[in-house]
Amino acid sequence: MSKLYACIISEDAKRDKAVLVSVAKQFSYSIETLEDGVLFDVSGLENLIGDPGQLIKNILAQLKANDISGQIRIADTPDTAILLARSDSSHLFNDTFEEFQNLPLQDFPIEKDTLDIFHDLGIRKVHELRQIPANELIGRYGQQFKNVIDVIEQKGNRRLQPNLKENSVGWSYDLDFPIDDFEQLIFVINRGLDQLLYQVKNRGFSTEQLDISFKLRTKTERSYEIKASFPTIEKKFWLKLVNLRISLDPPEAEIVSINMMSWFTRPRPDQRGLYAVSRPASEDLQLTVNKLKNMVGEENVGVPVLLDQRLPKAFNLDPERFPQGREKIEIRSEASIVAFTYFNPPIPAEVFVRDKRLLSIKTPHFSGSVRQYSGVWKASSKWWDKPWRIQEWDIEVENGGVYRLCKGRRSWSVIGEYD
Amino acid sequence: MRHLNLVKPLSLLKEEFSHTDEIHLDSFGLSFTRGTLIEIGGAPSSGKTSLLLSILSKLTSVGEICALVDSTGGFDPCSAFLAGVELENLLWVRCGGDIEKAFMAADYLVQAKGFGAVWLNLSCLPKHQLRFVPRNHWYRYRTRVKETPTLFLVTTEEPIVGSASQQSFLFSRKPAEWFGTGRFKLLKELRSRLISRKQFYEPMAAEIKFDYTNV
Repeated sequence: MSKLYACIISEDAKRDKAVLVSVAKQFSYSIETLEDGVLFDVSGLENLIGDPGQLIKNILAQLKANDISGQIRIADTPDTAILLARSDSSHLFNDTFEEFQNLPLQDFPIEKDTLDIFHDLGIRKVHELRQIPANELIGRYGQQFKNVIDVIEQKGNRRLQPNLKENSVGWSYDLDFPIDDFEQLIFVINRGLDQLLYQVKNRGFSTEQLDISFKLRTKTERSYEIKASFPTIEKKFWLKLVNLRISLDPPEAEIVSINMMSWFTRPRPDQRGLYAVSRPASEDLQLTVNKLKNMVGEENVGVPVLLDQRLPKAFNLDPERFPQGREKIEIRSEASIVAFTYFNPPIPAEVFVRDKRLLSIKTPHFSGSVRQYSGVWKASSKWWDKPWRIQEWDIEVENGGVYRLCKGRRSWSVIGEYD
Repeated sequence: MRHLNLVKPLSLLKEEFSHTDEIHLDSFGLSFTRGTLIEIGGAPSSGKTSLLLSILSKLTSVGEICALVDSTGGFDPCSAFLAGVELENLLWVRCGGDIEKAFMAADYLVQAKGFGAVWLNLSCLPKHQLRFVPRNHWYRYRTRVKETPTLFLVTTEEPIVGSASQQSFLFSRKPAEWFGTGRFKLLKELRSRLISRKQFYEPMAAEIKFDYTNV
């Protein structure tokens, strides 16, 4: 089967680049973007669409639909297609061969001095140059002139070089009737994921981000950005993740159509170290975290993060992060330290004070005389803020434990214990 | 008397009891077997949390991922950091005082397999609620973690796990030590007595000091 190449040259290729590429994508997977247009392989489309003339009409219709214009030519070699499209000839020819024979020589990669000589000799077009024997031209202008002759004879060895860097693949599906319950769409999503991940795999990539958007009956769109902490193309895993994420925050109206997009990333290396410690498989960890988030709320599952401030609770829970399983280089002594545990909520207390000394404490959970205490401390270093007024003591209660006692403006509370 | 040869001598039984895959805590003189359920009980300020943080520190520092089911949300990451816990390797699940969610969260975590340790902290929950927890929960956890590298740790004020636990420890607090005089005092250390409730051959009891001076 002979090859066929289509070339679209636009007046403002920079502006129209995205549209040109999207039009080319409708006809071919093998696309090369040029400085002034786009070149793509349309071999085999004659069976689907028709002869090159019909193909040009279809491409032109797509360009018109996108409100842009351009010169379109189809030829057997990439060089011929590009040269014909760039020629911008207003004269109509019966076929591309005749059009090519009438192309001016200045469009070809010929040196300016040589072109001037041809001009002086009255050789201005391709068919005029072809009348001179090729051997004579090569003998006079060197071996490199053979490339020009090959292009003129439409035997150029230039190949289409796909240079379009794709970073995502998409899949969309319009439903026959609106669906209210997302769970009913699981089978459709499963099919979509199947096709999407197959495409990702075929391109030698993996994915760690999946964007799902639903068009709703209310003519609004609802989008979800689902990220995994590692690249994977395991369909089962993605399906569970999509289900968990969307059930956490389902669309507010009936779904009319689904659009999914998967972003490429480099595949994950599967090799582990010989002395690697055991840890949950990344897929299991991510699914477990999502199940837990579904159960206790997104803000309650994550990795603890310390804040570099003197505050009553100088830490946070980062729900976006997953445990890394990173090894610590620093070696510390194994000495046991006194840990602290917060009471959530703090326990209200009645404290008996005499001569500025804490004597005893009474709470709903424990009571007794204060055996020893230390303080008073400020809970926060922010003197301009409310916690600055809070005062703290460490107290040891007879027959109880060692607690941290707080005094606000008037009320006392036990905020935690040393354990 | 020949049939008595079928019975193994006690010393041999003891050898079989000690597994190779153990986590040793030199500062406490304790070792824990992976794939088992360990219960740590004790009164307030007796050192349960300190012991647990030491275990987490030991595991997370070598890159193992551990999980904490914080039933009441009382966990203090600052203490954990000072105890040497690598916080990046710790998954923290806050259950807001909901006992059912705490048990379900622990179930999800043991199902994931591969965690170095799963710590179910039930310390601050009301005792009457804990007494109603069906025993089969504990047997389920025990079966789930069996033959996995996971150490399932439970902390409560009173022992509740029963025979499902392989080891059960009970802390009892002794008066804390303070230094300084008059109004200028500081907490120096907590002292506790640790009793193993399941060490049948050598009933173990140890005194442990928890240092507060560097905190």
